[in-house]
Amino acid sequence: MAQDASLSSFQESEWEVILPVLYRDRAVQNVEEERIRKLKTRLQQLRWRGAKRGGQEYAEKSCARCRRALGLLLNRGAVCQGCSHRVCSECRVFPGRTRVWRCTVCYEGRNVRIKTGEWFFEERAKKFPTEGRQETAGARLLQSYQELSKISVVPPTPPPLSESWCSSSPGRLQELSQPRGFNKSVENLFLSVTTHMKKLSKSQNDVTSDKQLLSTSPEQGTGRPERRSQSDTAINVTARKISAPDILQSLSPESPKRPANPVLKQENLLSHPTPGPLFSGGSRQGSLISINSACTEIGNFDNADVTGEVELALRYCFKTRSLEVCIKSCRNLAYGEERKKKCNPYVKTYLLPDRSSQGKRKTGVQKNTVDPTFQETLKYQVEPAQLATRRLQVSVWHLGTLARRVFLGEVIIPLASWDFGDSTTQAFRWHPLRAKAEKHEDSSSPNHGELTVRAKLVLPAGTSKLQEAQEGTGEEPSCDGQLCLVVLGAQNLPVRSDGTLNSFVKGCLTLPDKQKLRLKSPVLKKQACPQWKHSFVFNGVSPAQLRQSSLELTVWDQAAFGVSDRLLGEARLGSREDPAGGAGSGSHSKLQWQKVLSSPNLWTDMTLVLH
Amino acid sequence: MASATDSRYGQKESSDQNFDYMFKILIIGNSSVGKTSFLFRYADDSFTPAFVSTVGIDFKVKTIYRNDKRIKLQIWDTAGQERYRTITTAYYRGAMGFILMYDITNEESFNAVQDWSTQIKTYSWDNAQVLLVGNKCDMEDERVVSSERGRQLADHLGFEFFEASAKDNINVKQTFERLVDVICEKMSESLDTADPAVTGAKQGPQLTDQQAPPHQDCAC
Ligand SMILES: Nc1nc2c(ncn2[C@@H]2O[C@H](COP(=O)(O)OP(=O)(O)OP(=O)(O)O)[C@@H](O)[C@H]2O)c(=O)[nH]1
Ligand SMILES: [Mg+2]
Ligand SMILES: [Zn+2]
Ligand SMILES: [Zn+2]
Repeated sequence: MAQDASLSSFQESEWEVILPVLYRDRAVQNVEEERIRKLKTRLQQLRWRGAKRGGQEYAEKSCARCRRALGLLLNRGAVCQGCSHRVCSECRVFPGRTRVWRCTVCYEGRNVRIKTGEWFFEERAKKFPTEGRQETAGARLLQSYQELSKISVVPPTPPPLSESWCSSSPGRLQELSQPRGFNKSVENLFLSVTTHMKKLSKSQNDVTSDKQLLSTSPEQGTGRPERRSQSDTAINVTARKISAPDILQSLSPESPKRPANPVLKQENLLSHPTPGPLFSGGSRQGSLISINSACTEIGNFDNADVTGEVELALRYCFKTRSLEVCIKSCRNLAYGEERKKKCNPYVKTYLLPDRSSQGKRKTGVQKNTVDPTFQETLKYQVEPAQLATRRLQVSVWHLGTLARRVFLGEVIIPLASWDFGDSTTQAFRWHPLRAKAEKHEDSSSPNHGELTVRAKLVLPAGTSKLQEAQEGTGEEPSCDGQLCLVVLGAQNLPVRSDGTLNSFVKGCLTLPDKQKLRLKSPVLKKQACPQWKHSFVFNGVSPAQLRQSSLELTVWDQAAFGVSDRLLGEARLGSREDPAGGAGSGSHSKLQWQKVLSSPNLWTDMTLVLH
Repeated sequence: MASATDSRYGQKESSDQNFDYMFKILIIGNSSVGKTSFLFRYADDSFTPAFVSTVGIDFKVKTIYRNDKRIKLQIWDTAGQERYRTITTAYYRGAMGFILMYDITNEESFNAVQDWSTQIKTYSWDNAQVLLVGNKCDMEDERVVSSERGRQLADHLGFEFFEASAKDNINVKQTFERLVDVICEKMSESLDTADPAVTGAKQGPQLTDQQAPPHQDCAC
C-alpha cells in the first residue's frame, strides 16, 4: 500500500511534533465529553421530574412535565407537537420569535442535540453507520500509537512497564478490538511505523540531530516553534483544564472587543460560572500570548535588565468572591529589545502557587512604549479563605516579533497579610519591579505539584476552649475530637508521557504513640489534574495528640497488576520537621496547620506543595 | 479509640465549559498556500513571512460569539504535504466544515482544488460545508488565478468563495464566520427535518437575518 510507505517513513522527530498535538486534542475532547455528560444528565433530570412517581396515580389531567393538575375548562393544557404530551402553560417554551412551542423536555432535547453535536453524529451516521460518536481520529491514532510504540518511543522516565500494563487493561483491549469504522489498515500502518521506529531509535544516529531541527523550543531562531500552536510543555496545561479546582474559578478577563450583548453575557457567566476556554479567551485578545506563555513558565524567554514600576490596586469583592487586580500603568520599563529601543509591554498575573493557565490573566499589549497605560482589571474568582494561601505574581513582559517574549520584571504580593476590608489598601500604588525571584526556590526543592486540601478539627461543644486543649496536661479534656481533611485535588503533578495519571491519595496520621492511622482515596483514572474531593476522617483524636502528630499526604500514580505504584509527591503537616521540605513552603504549611488546630470547627483551606 | 473513616465528599461540580457548542473545522489545500498563516491570523492576529511547513496536523481552539451563542471552534490545520495524507484524511470525518485553500499566485495549487474536493467527498459526511478560499490576494502583481476562475470553480463545486490574505488580514475573519454560519444553517436543517412539527416554522439558531459578508472577493 502506498500510504503504508508514507506513514512508516515518519521519523521519530516527526512524531515528536505530532504527538503533543494528539495529547492536546485529547484534553480538549475530555473537557467536551464532560460537558456533554452534564448536558445529558440535566435532560434526564428534567424527564424524571415529569415521570410517574411510585404509588402516585397517573392522573390523566395533569401536566406531563410538572405533574400539576389540569382543569377541565381553565388551564386545560395543550398538546406538545414534539411529544404529543399535554402540558400546562408554564411548561412551554417559545424558541426564537416564533409562535410554535415545545414542552420543556422537547425543547431541552433539541438543545442538547445542538449542544452535544448529536445532530452532526446523526447526520454522519447516514454515511458512516459504524462510526462511534466519541472516538476522534486523534484518539484512535493515539491509541494505536501508544499501544504499539511505548517501549521504543516514550522517554524512559516514567515506568514504561506499568504504562504498557495499564493500556492493555481489559477496557482498552475491548476498545481496540472494535475499531468502529476506523480504517483497519491505518492501525496496521501504525504497527509498521512503530516497528520501524524501534529500528530507528536503536540504530540511527541522526535521529538526535533531527530532533534538534524539530525541537519545539522557541529559543531556536527558526520559525517552527512559534508556529506550533502549543509547545510540548503545554500538554499539561491543557490537561489541567479538565478539572480546575472549583475554589479558583476564573472569570475570563473582560474583552471589550467581543460583540456580546451585555445581558446575555451576564447570563452565560451565571449559568456557566467558569473559566473561558483556555486557548481562546473568547476573542482576539492575545491568544498568541496564552499560547506561548507555557514556554515562558519554563524559562524559555529572554531577560531584560529590570527597571521601572507597575501601578496597581487590589480589591476583593466579597459579594462576588472575586479578587480584582486593577493594572493601571507602568513607568520607566526596560526596553524589551534594547538595541532597537523597542518595547511592547503587557502584564500577566498568577495567583501563586497556581501556575496553571487556568490561573493566568493578562492585559492587552501596548505598542512602542516604556510607560504604558493599561487601565485593565484582571479578576479571579477565589474564596476568601483561599486568599490567605495565595501570592499574587504580577509580571511585565515585552512581546517581540515572532512572538518572542522578554521578561521585564515582576512583583510578588503575598495576600496572607493583605487587609481587603481596609479602603486604604485598595488605592493604586506603585510597586517596583524586580528580577525573577523564584528561580532558586523551584530548583532547590523540586516541585512535584500542589495538593489542595481543606481541613477542620471537629470538637464536641464545650471542649473547644483552646487553652484546655493546648495544655494537654493532667486530665485529657477529651479524646473524641475528629480531624476532617478533604483532599480536593492536585495540579501540576508529574504526569505520564501520555499526559494523564491514575492517581490517588494516601493519608497517614502518625500519633505521638507511633500509632498510624491510614486512609486512602479512590483512584481517579486518566486525569492530569485529579479532583478527588474525598474526605479523610480521623476519629478519636484530641487536639493535644494532634499537636504532636504528623500527617503525611502522598499522591500516587496507580500501576496495574502488582507493579508498584509510583509516588508522585508528598506533603507533611504537623509537628515533625520535614527535613526534605523547602524552608519557605514548609513554614507556610506549618502555619496553616497550626491554624487548623487552633481554630476548631472551622475549615481551613491549604495548598500544599508536593515534594 | 482513634480510628479513621473514608467518605465521599460531595461538592458542587465545576463546569468549565463556557460555550454553547463546539464546531470542528478543517483547513486543507496544497502545501505553502497559507493554511497555517490563515489560522494564525485568525486565532492570534499574527503573521510571519517565514515558511515552516506543517508536520502532520495541528489545531487551535477559539471561542467566538455568534448569533447569541458562544461557539467553540476547534480548527485543524493540516499539512499540505503528500507524505502526511494518511494522518490528515483521518480527520475529515470529524469535521463539520472545511476551508479549502489555494494560492492565487500558484496555478498548481488551484488545479489541485478538484482533488481536494474529491477527498472531502470521500472521507467526510455528506453535508460537509466547504468554503473555497483563494489566499494571498495581497500579491496582485503575481496573481495567476483570476477571481473569476476562482468563483467559477467554486460555483461548479457548490462551495462558497472568498479571496483572502492572511498577510494583510483580508477576509480572514469573514471566512471563518461565514463557515460557522453555514454550519449553523445545516444544523438547523438537520434538526428541523428530524422534528417534522417545526418544518417550515424556523426556530433555534437560524441565520436568515444574517446579511452577506461585506465583500466576498478581494478588494485589492
Ligand atoms: N503575501 C502573502 N504571503 C502569505 C500569505 N499567507 C501565507 N503566506 C506565506 O506563504 C508561505 C506559506 O504559508 P503557510 O501558512 O506556512 O503554508 P501552509 O499552507 O500551512 O503549508 P503546509 O503547512 O506545508 O501545508 C509562508 O511563507 C507565508 O508567509 C498571504 O496572504 N500573503
Ligand atoms: Mg501549515
Ligand atoms: Zn407543567
Ligand atoms: Zn414535548
